[in-house]
Amino acid sequence: MEVDLAPGNPRELVLRNPVIPASGCFGYGKEFSGFVDVQRLGAFVSKGITPKPRAGNPMPRIAETPAGMLNAIGLQNPGISGFIRTYPPMWESWDVPAIVNISAESVEDFAMMARKLDDVSGVAAIEVNISCPNISAGGFCFGWDAAMSADVTRAVRAATTLPVIVKLSPGALDVVEIAQAVEEEGADAVSLINTLVGMSIDTERQQPVLANITGGLSGPAVRPVALRMVYQVAGAVDIPVIGMGGIATVPDAIQFFMAGASAIQVGTAAFARPRVLMELVDGIPGWLERHGHAQLSDIVGVANPRFRGDWTFEEVQ
Amino acid sequence: MAHMVERAKTTREFVGEIIRVEPVMGDAVLTTFTAPKRAVDETHPGQFIQILSRDSTSYDPLLRRPYSVYRVDRVARTMTVLARAYGRGSGWLMQQPAGVALDVMGPLGSPFVVRPKSFHLLMVAGGVGAAPILMLAEQAIRDGKQVTYLMGANDSAGLLPASELPEEVEYVVATMDGSAGYTGFVTDLVPDYLQWADQVFSCGPEPMFRSLRAVIHKHRLGDRPDVQMAVERTMACGIGACLGCMVETRRGMKTACVDGPVFEMDDMLWG
Repeated sequence: MEVDLAPGNPRELVLRNPVIPASGCFGYGKEFSGFVDVQRLGAFVSKGITPKPRAGNPMPRIAETPAGMLNAIGLQNPGISGFIRTYPPMWESWDVPAIVNISAESVEDFAMMARKLDDVSGVAAIEVNISCPNISAGGFCFGWDAAMSADVTRAVRAATTLPVIVKLSPGALDVVEIAQAVEEEGADAVSLINTLVGMSIDTERQQPVLANITGGLSGPAVRPVALRMVYQVAGAVDIPVIGMGGIATVPDAIQFFMAGASAIQVGTAAFARPRVLMELVDGIPGWLERHGHAQLSDIVGVANPRFRGDWTFEEVQ
Repeated sequence: MAHMVERAKTTREFVGEIIRVEPVMGDAVLTTFTAPKRAVDETHPGQFIQILSRDSTSYDPLLRRPYSVYRVDRVARTMTVLARAYGRGSGWLMQQPAGVALDVMGPLGSPFVVRPKSFHLLMVAGGVGAAPILMLAEQAIRDGKQVTYLMGANDSAGLLPASELPEEVEYVVATMDGSAGYTGFVTDLVPDYLQWADQVFSCGPEPMFRSLRAVIHKHRLGDRPDVQMAVERTMACGIGACLGCMVETRRGMKTACVDGPVFEMDDMLWG
């Protein structure tokens, strides 16, 4: 079940299995103790860390929607310095790779954070959240533009030798173009999808439910969109793809592998049922065995023409 | 590391079988279900559980629903929650009959804190906020404290029946329509007890909290007695991971699910 998510990187990111709790949904790993055996996971991703501490958005921050939820937490976190003091020392003794998710509003800040994390013991890899507004581009999201996504990736790549995963935004006009741009700039892997921007209105109060008005939609409701994007991206890049979006069962995860994902992340489902993480860790090998597959790589991309060797870019589009 | 592996063996998610559903307080129910010894023994008044409130084939509602624990029976190994149909989650729970398997997480959160030296305890409950206060009252009587339990409802049917409370508790009620006890807000009764009370404990709807706060500020001397409130917030994870249920306090933003749901009234910022 071993998965190599940074095959080209000497610092390696080899997971014992492909199950990873997603950023924002697993705190800093310790919140789930008593529910999940963290050290049986493939890896985990921390909450999003920013250059400075952030208090987050006003309440309400979450709204339930059909088979999904909206969140506008607002990246509440202690900032990169406070984070480095607090969490990696705790992770150092854990036998599981800890991936740090970073968010910033300028290329320079992304690079600064990557540089600070580069030699921090207890940090296995960086996941770059490019679904943030770029202040110098009038707040236009980095991840919606191939050139801006490339700029961030190039700067982070230059600042660290750690494995770098770029987390793609589903708001991009052409997510394939973004994926290829970050691959070109040296990303070791891509993960997708981040949440979709949505909103909900309280008809009694005649106001948006979220204080932030809009929030990120996640949960089973987004799964078909996520799967389609993973299929497209996996068909167009050579680096590993980490698929996520509404995965709540083993068959859901299998769909992402068949679309071409080498590993999966799980977020919202673990809010409702933390043990889904252990069910996936145990259930994916079980599924493979029942279907006569010796290893996970047997099914990665089987439903994707590119992995069958008869791929053309037009087909995947 | 060893500590962590050891803890992970005893998951705080469990399946309980509903053994009893009793109507109470007019349109509410008391749902009692089996629970592991550990969960029963470790639940303290003010703590809550999260119940997955949907059929196993459905994703609606997606998130669990938090319920304050109303009572635990350490001998029978059961837990009871008080539910009233506010939305899809509580509506679903109310419809579940005996025999149904409930998917439960907990106990969660931080309980009420009764100081060892406190002897006179004033409790103020509104609506389903009666639940954690009932468990606290039972515990306090076992610990030899004196308890006055004030409860408010729209009418007499909405009140917790006196038979639910230990007989040592002084139970005083208020109804808006005057069908039982004092006519008006339950918080109108509070000033009479402030000299007597060493501590005040409360759970109820937000307007009741605001009214209680106003009454306390107007009538107490200095900062005594202090007031602990069990607040209700929309939650996703219930374990401090999502940061979706924050409460603004003088000590910064706190999670209702881990730091709360019990907060010191004097710490809370009311916006």
